[in-house]
Amino acid sequence: MKIDITKKLAQLKNDGRKVLGCFPLYPPLELFYAMDLVPVVLWGLRGTATDTTESDRHLQNYTCSVARHLTEFALSNGSGLLDGLFMYNACDTLRNLPEIIEKEWEKIGQALPLIKVHIPMVLPAQTDATAYFKNEINHLIKDLEERFDVLFSKDKFVQAVKQIKYVRDLMARAENRVTDGHLSFLNFVDAIHECWFSTVEEQIRILESLIDELSDEPAFSADKDSRHGVILSGILPPPTSVIHAIESSGLRIVGNDIASLGRSYASMPETREDPAAYFLDFYYQHFPCPTLLYTGDRRTTSLLGLVDKTGAKGVIFVGEKFCEYEYFEFPHLVQQLKDKGIQTLEIEIAIEDDAQTSAHDSRVSAFSEILKNNF
Amino acid sequence: MPEKLKTEKLKTNAGRHLSKMVGDTYMDLHAKSAQGAFVVWIAINVPAELFLGFENVVYGVPESHAALTAAKGVGVLQCEKAEHMGYSMDLCSYARIDIGSVSDGGKDSPTFGLPKPDLLVSDNNNCSLLVKWFDVHHRRMGVPHFVIDVPFCYEPQKDKDRKYIIQQFNDLIRTIEEMSGQKFDMDKALAAVSNTSEGIVHWKRFLSFAENRPSGITAFDSFVQMAPFLVARGTSQFVDHYKLLAQETEQRVRDGQFPVPGEKYRLFWDNIAPWHQLRDMSGSLAKLGANIVGATYTSCIGTVEGSFDFYAFDGDDPLEYCARTQNCYICPHGMNLRGKSMQAVVEKLNIDGIVFASNRSCKPYSVTQLDQQKLMTDQFGVPSVMIDVDHADARKYSKESTFTRLEALLENIEAKRAA
Repeated sequence: MKIDITKKLAQLKNDGRKVLGCFPLYPPLELFYAMDLVPVVLWGLRGTATDTTESDRHLQNYTCSVARHLTEFALSNGSGLLDGLFMYNACDTLRNLPEIIEKEWEKIGQALPLIKVHIPMVLPAQTDATAYFKNEINHLIKDLEERFDVLFSKDKFVQAVKQIKYVRDLMARAENRVTDGHLSFLNFVDAIHECWFSTVEEQIRILESLIDELSDEPAFSADKDSRHGVILSGILPPPTSVIHAIESSGLRIVGNDIASLGRSYASMPETREDPAAYFLDFYYQHFPCPTLLYTGDRRTTSLLGLVDKTGAKGVIFVGEKFCEYEYFEFPHLVQQLKDKGIQTLEIEIAIEDDAQTSAHDSRVSAFSEILKNNF
Repeated sequence: MPEKLKTEKLKTNAGRHLSKMVGDTYMDLHAKSAQGAFVVWIAINVPAELFLGFENVVYGVPESHAALTAAKGVGVLQCEKAEHMGYSMDLCSYARIDIGSVSDGGKDSPTFGLPKPDLLVSDNNNCSLLVKWFDVHHRRMGVPHFVIDVPFCYEPQKDKDRKYIIQQFNDLIRTIEEMSGQKFDMDKALAAVSNTSEGIVHWKRFLSFAENRPSGITAFDSFVQMAPFLVARGTSQFVDHYKLLAQETEQRVRDGQFPVPGEKYRLFWDNIAPWHQLRDMSGSLAKLGANIVGATYTSCIGTVEGSFDFYAFDGDDPLEYCARTQNCYICPHGMNLRGKSMQAVVEKLNIDGIVFASNRSCKPYSVTQLDQQKLMTDQFGVPSVMIDVDHADARKYSKESTFTRLEALLENIEAKRAA
């Protein structure tokens, strides 16, 4: 991870921006931008602290590294860098974090607004959640107005939607450059990661520069066609050393089904003036993710579609240890892929793996050999 | 006296009635399924009373079946079957037992498994992983999956959330009507909810004998006696059983019969029962003069957020009541609400120490326990200990390590008394 998140957030604060820490991964960003807030998605915080001492006072060691790093960040320096926290319903671990964080912040006299919204998880064909969700969004707007002394306007909302649409389009374009071999996956990951902690204007600048500055020569020009394409799937991209191992083992990352990457920018609803209608589309049309419970039936099709589109020969599942949402789906996905002749590799990333990934490197090399022998 | 005879002597009428009731209910479930009943598999929070509003809809509860499997000593065997299918050992052991059991048609199940469902109904407030777990069956069996989405409670349930839940109950009823061809009868559902409410009155009375010194019950008794909530809710049998249990317990207390006569330490349990250790743990604790007299797991039944007091049915709208009590278990409660409930019951039962069972298979129950422990010990001065358990996977439990910590807790209590 190249960026210094603490420094980025401190800069935003120095610039007089109101920073809203958000989790989990798909908050209503457009609404926050429209209300002059800077939402930062508190994900991928590995590297913001050397250990999880603060978090370990509150979370057992069988919670995932995402929760532990998030808690560590929030408790060690989050209150001074954020103006508030936003969360919507997620997994069984994350739903308990707001109160833990809130209580600790209160103890140090830095109580910050904590805003919670319930995103309906019913299947659209089963229950019409439109009215419930509209009420949630209307409450959210009112809450934001009162707590941050800001105002909602439809014009600004539409403008923010257009900006985010452009950002997501740039992210997809950058991913295409990874697929065609012009951009290393690692550089792509670093750029997207930096975007999570930047204003929307800055995100546009980062992504435009990334794309514009690429040379016409593919990064893997010499052996591009001989490298087998693989897709990465998981909640977070793997640690840097594993990405290196993949790219140096003769494999090429041609696509991703990663929650913090592809799943977050793969779909873009139609522009609408009504935030409730817009976000209902946003959530219900979202690229399938195990955290969005109603997308389960579309998940296999989406992943197989990605494999077809990219011509990938293998899928590497990057399991976040203790993420039950992901792990319940792996056996089914693996079987479906195998039935189509697609090779799979499952690697598990635990919090202790930040420093030790040599075992993963060996498995990646072996997987690369299998692909070479099979295709 | 031979050990077996001693055990027989201790078996109560309510215990015998429970065994028969549970066995009969599972067999009846299989029989009715074979005769064409519409079979639903549900999460424990799904209001089973709604199914009694239909002429011929029966239900099975995979979580309950998994607990029974673990208690009968075959939990690990079933977990291993799921692990061989590729399911991680880190996943909830109830889910692994269930998936393992289904994989070979309930071959090693104490109840021959559950009959194949026509519909799966999950509920995400106790734990949202249940939706993913039921999705496994949905994909493998090709059975529709209805998800009840219940907003998590950081504060007492709001009207808007209750209306949303009721809307979903109505959709569930409509779905079953369409799938089964049966008509829902609200009066029957009302009678079922009335039965449940009446049964819980007796359940609460049974639990209240923990207030006696020495306690008239152990939490281990109450864990076992939870079964009717999962197999017979809404029926007259449910009422009769808990009435018998409460009456018999009252009589035993009157007669001076106590499960731990030399009770020196009154403990309280926080988390799901360790089903594979019930007998061993209760016996070993009794030898130390310790009795776990109550548990959050059993106290929460029939209550709403922030209190373990009974929330009665007013006889009016069964759907409203079912929606209001959707959060009757602990997991859907935020940390502050949990602390409030626990503090009150700890005072009421004169608890000497709390056992926080950190359960690797249940994150919704376990995350926040470290904070709860601080709250109870630092703020309210109740000694406590954190032990590691898994509710159904015996491989993740160490008796030695657990009892070292439990003994340290008892020493801590002694030290506090001496001070």
